[in-house]
Amino acid sequence: MSEKPSSASRVHDLFGSVLGLFALVMLVSSPWQVDSSGPDPFYKGPLIFPLIVFSLILAGALPSMWRLARPSIHASWYLDGHGRSFKTLTILGLLILYPAGLLFLGLEISTWLFLFIVLKLVKQDSLLKLTIIPILVTMILFVLFKFFLDVWFPEPLLMEPVKEWAIKLLGE
Amino acid sequence: MLEHMHAGFVAAFSYSNLGALTFGTFVGIVVGILPGLGPMVGMVVLLPFSFAFSPDVALSLLLGVFCGGYYGGGIPAVLLRTPGVPSSLVTSFDGYPLTQKGEAQTGLSAALLGSFGGGIISVVILIFLAPLLAHVAASFGPPEYFTVAVFGVVLVVMAFRDQLGRGIMLLGLGFWFSTVGIDGTTLSQRFCFGTLVMQNGFDIVPVCLGLFGIGQTLILVERDIMKNHDIQLSRSSLDFSKLFKLFKYWKTLIRSGVIGTFVGLLPGTGSILASFLSYDVAKRLSKEKSLFGKGTPEGCIASEAGNNAVPAGAMIPLLTLGIPGDALSAVLLGVFTINGIYPGPLLLVKEPVLITTIYFSMLLINIVAFAMLVIWLKPFAMIVKVPGKLLAVVIMVISLVGIYAVNTRLFDAGVAISMGVLGYILLRTGWPIVTLVMGFVLGEIMENRLRETLSLGDGSLMILFDRPICIFLVIITILIILVPFMLDLRKSRKKKPAN
Repeated sequence: MSEKPSSASRVHDLFGSVLGLFALVMLVSSPWQVDSSGPDPFYKGPLIFPLIVFSLILAGALPSMWRLARPSIHASWYLDGHGRSFKTLTILGLLILYPAGLLFLGLEISTWLFLFIVLKLVKQDSLLKLTIIPILVTMILFVLFKFFLDVWFPEPLLMEPVKEWAIKLLGE
Repeated sequence: MLEHMHAGFVAAFSYSNLGALTFGTFVGIVVGILPGLGPMVGMVVLLPFSFAFSPDVALSLLLGVFCGGYYGGGIPAVLLRTPGVPSSLVTSFDGYPLTQKGEAQTGLSAALLGSFGGGIISVVILIFLAPLLAHVAASFGPPEYFTVAVFGVVLVVMAFRDQLGRGIMLLGLGFWFSTVGIDGTTLSQRFCFGTLVMQNGFDIVPVCLGLFGIGQTLILVERDIMKNHDIQLSRSSLDFSKLFKLFKYWKTLIRSGVIGTFVGLLPGTGSILASFLSYDVAKRLSKEKSLFGKGTPEGCIASEAGNNAVPAGAMIPLLTLGIPGDALSAVLLGVFTINGIYPGPLLLVKEPVLITTIYFSMLLINIVAFAMLVIWLKPFAMIVKVPGKLLAVVIMVISLVGIYAVNTRLFDAGVAISMGVLGYILLRTGWPIVTLVMGFVLGEIMENRLRETLSLGDGSLMILFDRPICIFLVIITILIILVPFMLDLRKSRKKKPAN
């Protein structure tokens, strides 16, 4: 099993403090973020619960903020020994690009491309895996979502000029 | 009553329901066997597909994953000392030594018998206890519901007492997520940041799928969770001769099933406590105490019966009070509410057929899971050989397309990715992610009940002290907060003189 993260790491305090600061900003700005112009008294209105919630987050974050500001002698930034996650960040970047791919390239091409690149990145790159898995998953998704569930997917924007060009070429 | 039972029986045995629960159980066993995935990932991946079905079929599908996951978790625990689900860790204490002695079939038989017995016992308790609890809850008004919700939330946060501040922060964050969008009571905009897409708020599917599905897969792609793939199994199915010998531990089986159900009933306690407690009690009361930890089937039976009783136990507060006991039942609550069904004491009166269908489906799921593993034990066990990274990448794609398919909105995919990043950070830092999900699911219920309670009390919460049930719950809640701290204080005082 994976190594357990160190509970005393300053990373926790940093994350807690960020959440605390966020809650503070939201607590102060809540009256402007919530439309409370209705006729209801405050206790029936839409603002009371968010105010309680942000106070709760802030209260929970106070110890983290204190520890971050005044670290003990033994405090360190060590978390779990798994290092910095460059590969995970790359995959995350590709994951963000994937919905954009659905918009520009369509379900089939973007799925195949995403699987091909990420499988290569995570070193599942035997010829068999790289050829079969992306095609198989793309086919399953196509059949399941487009054929059976009849889900609407956007017309791929980049495919339109390609289609026109192909038609033109075939016409000539 | 008999009419509803008959209708529920017919609905449970319909082709669609049988197909859904069998498929759900299969998926559950697979994700349960694979360390690092677990039933939560299976449930959230299937969540978008469940909307294509009627509520009873959708619930059978997800309950199949929920229960099947616990069945599967015991297999790698016995064979490889690697629990598929965290609660199966206890099963490995005796299961793996049995495998080392060349008695893997005995260990697996014990784990399966424990799982089956625990599952069936807990469903029987659910059937008898749910109407009783619903009868009590029928007299509840908004103040009682509010105090019950507070009690549940406090239990969940206190379950992570060693991370109290983190638990509170995540609970608050979950509450905040539930407030985003148009407020249902006043139709006011909240935290929409001037955008149109935020007005619909956050849907449960992208939030849960992001936190658990994408978050967990991002962890999986960077780590090799399991390196040992050596499976020692002599035959492809279960050896019945070993199974029959284990019936002598029937007392342990029943006791552990009951313990697991009641632990599952309490919000926040979870299956790990259920299996630990069942194992500990079995060890204390056993005639063969010295064999525990060295490879006794009784230990495997106790642990698996304890954790497999949790799903039905967690259904009791969910069905009767609308309070989910853990993150998995929080997802089930989402399925109910999305279909316009609001769990609570009236659910048993309003939807008796749905309830009886759930009961029969849960019994069937246990039978199907047991039968599947008995017949295809070795093929299922071989699933651990599938590379986790490969599965993680495939799950990412299926999750994102599934999320998009629910509302055909790319915004939901964006929410899921953002939640995935948050889930990854929380999983990597080991923060109690369950409190975030509980906050998100219970946020709307708590807010509405709070506002109704304040309306009844003309802006004062003192109305809580006019109602006996509320007073009782408030006292219990305060005790739950104070007693552990007082015990800790006593412990540290005792330690000081010793030092």
